[in-house]
Amino acid sequence: MVEDYFRQYGLITVFAAIAMVVPISMLLMSWMATKIKVRPRRPTPVKLETYECGYGPVGGQWTFNARYYTFALLFVIFDVETVFLYPWASEFGVLSAQFGVFALLEVAVFGVILGIGWGYAWRKRALEWR
Amino acid sequence: MSANVNVNLLTPEFILAGMGLLVLSLDLVLPKARRGILPWIGVAGLIAAVATALIYRWDRVEELYGGVFIADRYSLFFFAFLVILGGAVMIASVDYVKQHIKFPGEYYGILIFSILGMVLMASAGELLTAYIAMELLSFSLYVLVALRKYDSKSNESAAKYILLGAFSSAIMLYGISMVWGVTGTTFYDGIAAHLTANPDLDIGLIVGLSLIVAGLGFKVAAVPFHMWAPDVYEGAPTPVTAYLAIGSKAAAFALILRLFSEGLLPAIEDWRVLIATLAAATMVLGNLVAIRQENIKRMLAYSSIGQVGYLLLGVASLGVVDAGGAVVFSERASTGIMVHLVGYAVANLAAFLVVAVVYSRTGSDQISDYRGLAKKSPYLSLVLSVALFSLAGLPFFAGFVTKFYLFTAGAEAGFLWLSGLAMVASLVSLYYYLRVIQRAYVDQPSEGDEETAVERSTFFVPLTSWLMLGVLFVGMILIGVWPTELAAAADSASDALGTVRDVSTALVR
Repeated sequence: MVEDYFRQYGLITVFAAIAMVVPISMLLMSWMATKIKVRPRRPTPVKLETYECGYGPVGGQWTFNARYYTFALLFVIFDVETVFLYPWASEFGVLSAQFGVFALLEVAVFGVILGIGWGYAWRKRALEWR
Repeated sequence: MSANVNVNLLTPEFILAGMGLLVLSLDLVLPKARRGILPWIGVAGLIAAVATALIYRWDRVEELYGGVFIADRYSLFFFAFLVILGGAVMIASVDYVKQHIKFPGEYYGILIFSILGMVLMASAGELLTAYIAMELLSFSLYVLVALRKYDSKSNESAAKYILLGAFSSAIMLYGISMVWGVTGTTFYDGIAAHLTANPDLDIGLIVGLSLIVAGLGFKVAAVPFHMWAPDVYEGAPTPVTAYLAIGSKAAAFALILRLFSEGLLPAIEDWRVLIATLAAATMVLGNLVAIRQENIKRMLAYSSIGQVGYLLLGVASLGVVDAGGAVVFSERASTGIMVHLVGYAVANLAAFLVVAVVYSRTGSDQISDYRGLAKKSPYLSLVLSVALFSLAGLPFFAGFVTKFYLFTAGAEAGFLWLSGLAMVASLVSLYYYLRVIQRAYVDQPSEGDEETAVERSTFFVPLTSWLMLGVLFVGMILIGVWPTELAAAADSASDALGTVRDVSTALVR
């Protein structure tokens, strides 16, 4: 029982071993190539640039405005609402036959809860780009 | 799922959710000066929820959604206990929030949501539901800990808490998936049925159960999963610390108690020693490290780790193996756990409330600053001493009776050594509790000593806190002198745990 259980992981162990061996041997070969002068090491300023064949970076660092994060979260509110509303709408005939008005009210409750979240964000001025 | 699901049964939970939303949205429309009524609206809602639950579910034993949600005496006991506890924390934090926290609406609204999470943890009959309820509690707590937004300590402890909390949740979830993989179910009674049918534990199940124990161990801060607790307790706003130490632990033990007695009891031989070891390590380390603490919140954090050790002793003795080799559910142990939780909650809340009031006046949490408290405010130091005596387990106070129940159950289940160790640990705990009391009552400033923060400050206890302390004081004495009613309630709740288990085993056969 226990052996069976661990044998299932044998394959993963093999993969892990290969994954370790390949990069290490690549580094090793590169190092040996330097030693036997197949790959001489002669750095120049141009060679050491970040993008040797491309444009050098221009301008200072660019900070990402944290406000995007709030907007993304608010977007998710409605995104999730859609995800739930779509299957509900497409099956509404079946649902209303079985549950009656309750099928409609249930989603109204869902909408109200999300609406409170939206109203909260509005009221706390999360929608203004200050 | 059938259409005739009795959703009305969930009315108390709906009231809680509605109150949370109401408080949160009232905060948006009320002018700043009127926001003082928010906690009282919340408390009224909590009272309504408890009343509805008591009237509506008094004698009902029902399962919703095929056993996902269980309404029985046990759920009812914890519903009443946890909601009243949450209400008490709410009232206890009124003065603190007014002074130190800028977001009263969020504080009270999220507090109510976390109460909802706690009661669902007690009534969940299935691992995933329990997990989601626990996440509702944890997420609320992450926000509450961080609510002193401009205080770097609050931020630091919130960061630690959310990282370790997420980590432990992931561990627990992984454990649940392992258990599901082996047993094919996440329902407690289904797991019990599987364990009864296959007495030899599968290795996957062992790993899964260990991971679940580790995840829950993080939540209750049992050694060796306790490292986060003192740091988080120290940095969190004091009423939130009290809530962390009491509410989240009580709810986690409500979950543990149902899981272990309804789900894992057939395999008790396999986990009782593990839990007993955790219990021993927790009570020894918690109480020993508490001795060296200079900050009273850290000291209470370590003391509450010690208390978790006593509660785990109860969990380890949940089942007794009878002469025929069958496992018999020990109602004494589960009654002991419930009674001790109540007594511990009352005493700990009182202690933390005193700490919160002292902090509001002096801005200090250092034990050395408590010198002169008896002179400045005899009332505060009296309540603090009674609370600490109760936590240590001296007679006439709540702690003695509840520990008596718990340790007796442990001794009966064959854990005589552990009960003995728990008593020694209680003696050790008396030392560091007495140090605070000595500081407050006995110590006199000697020549050349600077004045302590308490001696420098003008002292008065705000009315709400004064009344709440009075209620908790009476509660501690009442439980200590006359615990019959409480024990009877806990007994009937334990009955419910035993009964459901019988039903499920009958189903297997």
